[in-house]
Amino acid sequence: MLEHRDLADLAVDQARTKGATYAEARIERHATEFFLLKNGTLDALSVSEDTGIGVRVLVNGTLGFATTNTLTKDDVRSTVDDAMRVAKGARRKDPIVFATEKAVRTEWGVSEKRKLADVEIEQKLEDVTGIEKELVASKIPLVARMFQAATNRIDKYFVNSEGSQILSYSPRVRLFYFLTCMEGGDAEQTYRNYGWSGGWEALDEWDATERILGEARSLQKSLQEGKKSPEGKFDLVCGPQVSGIASHESCGHPTEADRILGREASQAGKSFITADAIGQKVGSPVVNVCDDPLIQNAIAYYEYDDEGVKARRRYLYKEGKIHEFLQNRETAAKMGTRSNAASRATTYSLEAIPRMANTFVEPKDHSFEELLEGVKHGIYMKSFMEWNIDDKRYNQKYVGREAYLIEDGEIGAPVRKVVLELTTPAFWSAVDAVGNDLEFEAGFCGKSDPMQALDASLGGPHMRLRDLHLR
Amino acid sequence: MDDLMGLAEGIVKKATGLGAQDAIADVYRNRNFQIRFSQNQVDIANTWRETAGWLFVAVDRRIVVTEVKDFSKWEKVVDNTTMVARKSQENDEYGGIAAGPFEYRSGPPDPKIVQLDDAGALVDAGIEAALKAGAKETAGSFWRNEEEHHLVTSGGVQASRHGASLYFSIRALKSLDESGHGVECATTLRDFKPERAGRKAGEIAKQVDHPEKGEAGKHDVIFDTLFLGSLADQIVGRAGAFTVLAGLSPLKDKIGQQIAHEGVTLYDDATTRSIGSRPWDDEGVPTRKTAVVEKGVLKTYLHNTSTAKLFKTATTGNAGLVAPTSYALAVEPGDRTKEELFAEVRDGLYVTNTWYTRYQSYVTGDFSTIPRDGIFRIKDGEIAGAVKDLRLTDNILGVWQRMEALSKERQEVMWWGEVSVPSLVPYGLARQVGFTKSSM
Repeated sequence: MLEHRDLADLAVDQARTKGATYAEARIERHATEFFLLKNGTLDALSVSEDTGIGVRVLVNGTLGFATTNTLTKDDVRSTVDDAMRVAKGARRKDPIVFATEKAVRTEWGVSEKRKLADVEIEQKLEDVTGIEKELVASKIPLVARMFQAATNRIDKYFVNSEGSQILSYSPRVRLFYFLTCMEGGDAEQTYRNYGWSGGWEALDEWDATERILGEARSLQKSLQEGKKSPEGKFDLVCGPQVSGIASHESCGHPTEADRILGREASQAGKSFITADAIGQKVGSPVVNVCDDPLIQNAIAYYEYDDEGVKARRRYLYKEGKIHEFLQNRETAAKMGTRSNAASRATTYSLEAIPRMANTFVEPKDHSFEELLEGVKHGIYMKSFMEWNIDDKRYNQKYVGREAYLIEDGEIGAPVRKVVLELTTPAFWSAVDAVGNDLEFEAGFCGKSDPMQALDASLGGPHMRLRDLHLR
Repeated sequence: MDDLMGLAEGIVKKATGLGAQDAIADVYRNRNFQIRFSQNQVDIANTWRETAGWLFVAVDRRIVVTEVKDFSKWEKVVDNTTMVARKSQENDEYGGIAAGPFEYRSGPPDPKIVQLDDAGALVDAGIEAALKAGAKETAGSFWRNEEEHHLVTSGGVQASRHGASLYFSIRALKSLDESGHGVECATTLRDFKPERAGRKAGEIAKQVDHPEKGEAGKHDVIFDTLFLGSLADQIVGRAGAFTVLAGLSPLKDKIGQQIAHEGVTLYDDATTRSIGSRPWDDEGVPTRKTAVVEKGVLKTYLHNTSTAKLFKTATTGNAGLVAPTSYALAVEPGDRTKEELFAEVRDGLYVTNTWYTRYQSYVTGDFSTIPRDGIFRIKDGEIAGAVKDLRLTDNILGVWQRMEALSKERQEVMWWGEVSVPSLVPYGLARQVGFTKSSM
């Protein structure tokens, strides 16, 4: 049970008493474990607990935020005073207002088949070390291997001056690996992030050992058999990992309302999408891209956001058109709409802003074989290594990690470093068929100042894109 | 708790009493203040009060790191940490921590920064300078940082430091494709000129006038300081011994080799006056000026005591609690003025900022990064219009090997992830740098 909830209530009461038109407080406890294996050696093990409070106030149309990890009544009072003082000192021409919301009193939590608190750290170490040992036993020439595993049990109590009180528990598991395979003086590298909301059953659910071994074998195969991909016009079948990164980078980010309004201009950038662009075409009619906090066991699962708004699925691109933006209460008021529960912070000590949760291409009806059947001469980009996108989210690049030629609907020889570099509308407009599968991986989504690297999922089915320039 | 040094001593004493051969306690107090702004007005003001500590213990070569956030429970945390260490796995590569005590040189922070509690005028000065220079819209952040650290180690170190700094970052825009960026770093209020950053951002934004789509291919390039800071960050960031061992660096097995142009000398130097300066590393070893690259030759990796033993060398005073890290870096100035650098470009590009640097292979250094803000065409040494939508696609060592000239003028820069370590850097001129662009 989360202690100190009374201090959050105290903070909100004090802020209101001192003149805040709106106040909210988040008390959070993050119980974390982290370890890092480098080439089979346990280089780092960290076990920590962090509890603190963040207080945000709206005073005469200006926002102030203050935080402390010292949870006494005196410190919390001082923290409220800090928030009030800095808010009063912040000068604005246009007062900030929040879109209206109903007060909510509720509790929610994520269940764990194997409770993180009950699985000893030795067991967790042993389980991940077991994967490392399987890799070594495979005799694949993996000259560098790095694993990072992390668990976080987040207890949170949110309270605001409008009467909301929300208690939640969110246990999360992450596994990251980075492998370097070297043969004949040539190297291939790969990494992957797995994420899970739930307990230590995550490793079994991911089938981590088999998947990572498969990835290692594909590295070796690329080195032994892969040739540089040909350049020219090709059809492309992309795997869920590529669908996921494109969903995140060229749909989720450009539809963040704060970015569209310029609040992130100096950091994560702006957007090629303007505030009046709802309904504009950005892709083919088969493209639906969603962001949904309610995907069971996805790492960014939540039922209420950090402003106490009830979560729901958001269709960001629907039938190839810009459909909805990711909103918090501040941006929603500016755009004359309602929040859609996108407001999140990584921890109590940082302000909540519009963020993606679990972003993915909505699956449709094609099997993988049916997607391939329609390709006479193409490339299957199963995964990628290098990627980036400009700060208006328009020009992006994905360089294949595992990729193959497709000839007459059949997967052929592996090809290396196939490059897809194109604009956002060009990518989404080229999609002519969407698979019926769906796979997620985890990511850290970077935004805000100070940087908030937030848990996010990226996913999708296989997709087929026609007539793209690849090199 | 006010006696933070006493707490650090108590933590180390208890940890060693419970059987830890090595223990480090870094107990700190941070008081930070930030103003974020966009659309030329304040979005939010943030304050942080954090008092916490880091504990490192090694029990029979089993290492655990813990953050102590609740001081009322510190004894329980130390108990738990040493217990977890016993259950952990042995690290064969662990080589202990440094044996002190050491002597340090550090001064007090500027009291004017410590006492600064209203920065509205400083933010306004930056915004107004950008608008006056020709921008229509600005966004950014102001930071006042103050930190107090008390370090005790079982290696005989006992030291305290107190520092403060100011930072300002501003992006100025005329439109989505017409923007510039400026930053300002200072350790004294007197040296802090947010209007300088605002003016630079605004002038770049003004100069970017209806940019055309750029041409892919090889270009001679002038790098502004923010961009060069990012490229330098990629070298020093890849020079940590841990990074090399993890397969995350193109610098493996390259000690003694020419990895950059002979005019390039790159230091890790936390002793200089910088917002990243500090008198000791996380083991208490005094920081020093270390030439990572000297006249283009890779001289050393960055080490803590453990990695130094592994590489049969001495620590460079770059210990993080787990992996070696850089705290501040500097690129030696060149012998040209900025104008002389431009004069050496007949047909090329001037790039002012970048972001989203990613690698296809850390082993080879093949990477790409996306220039943002002003990108200018240079013709016969003069700016001849602006371009957009280009991506620098090359090899990180190749770019540095073709960095044939640097300016005398330097600036300290740091920026949101891309320049993660405060860096004192000049302008640079590199030949035949690869650029690509969207095919459709």
